[in-house]
Amino acid sequence: MTTEPSANRVGADRVEKGSELPSRTHRFTRADLVRYAGASGDFNPIHWSDRVASAMGLPGVIVHGMFTMGVAVGMVSDWAGGPDRVISCRTRFTKPIVVPDDAEGVEISITGRVTAVDGPHVTVAVDVRCDDDKVLGATVVEVRRG
Amino acid sequence: MSAAKVDEFAAALAGDEHPGGPDQRLSPLVAPPTFAIVVAARAWESMFDDQELGLALERIVHGDQRFTVARPLRVGDEVTATLTIDRILQRGGADMITSSVAIATTAGEPVGTATATFVHTPAPVTDQPVTDQPVTDQPATAGPASAAPGESTQGVDQ
Repeated sequence: MTTEPSANRVGADRVEKGSELPSRTHRFTRADLVRYAGASGDFNPIHWSDRVASAMGLPGVIVHGMFTMGVAVGMVSDWAGGPDRVISCRTRFTKPIVVPDDAEGVEISITGRVTAVDGPHVTVAVDVRCDDDKVLGATVVEVRRG
Repeated sequence: MSAAKVDEFAAALAGDEHPGGPDQRLSPLVAPPTFAIVVAARAWESMFDDQELGLALERIVHGDQRFTVARPLRVGDEVTATLTIDRILQRGGADMITSSVAIATTAGEPVGTATATFVHTPAPVTDQPVTDQPVTDQPATAGPASAAPGESTQGVDQ
């Protein structure tokens, strides 16, 4: 993954509504999907078999929705100071991410914006895109500062 | 919750370019928030397998996912998973099944809740189907099912 500097970048300790988190890109290859399958226990073949994926009407092998969510939540928790800062998170799986069987795989971009600050609690709306298409919907992560 | 499993999951999320390498993994003691899916999926697997419910795994799509965290899952935790079917809506021939899994330590300390909506449909799958064979190295154990009157509940027995 790559973290890009942002003009509006702020640390988690000084935020207000509208603050932008440092954006991030993440690349998925077939090898990454295999590794996530093993780590998560989700061995659904649509995440590793072209044959099964096309039989299910998919254009190809797709990323586990939970993998994408995990990467998106990780972007916010890294910003907030660690995985123990997350109070809640939610998302909708709106569009599958197809991963070609090549060395490059596919890249997503993740951006986040603070939508509410309530004492130590910060709410971040996360936008996850692949080729300009939103792949997750209504993604919100709540973190605790301090 | 073994250190090896948490480490494996964190490394998988980070992908090839995570800093460090195998010997310098991320946070070894606190699991990533979405690690709760590894525990919850075991409970949902038993719901999908329930003969009375009559769900067909290949026709289930994971629609949305939420986690609320009472406190982070940590290496060394021994946890239970208690599944509740919160709501079933019928929409255009599909069943929208909302189910939550409450995770707690074996000592009874609440850890958090994972809530998912699954879409069970006779139409061909066009989205991301849900996990089919979740595996944890620390299997979730049964907790008592609890729900308001009128709700369908199912205890998870693993």
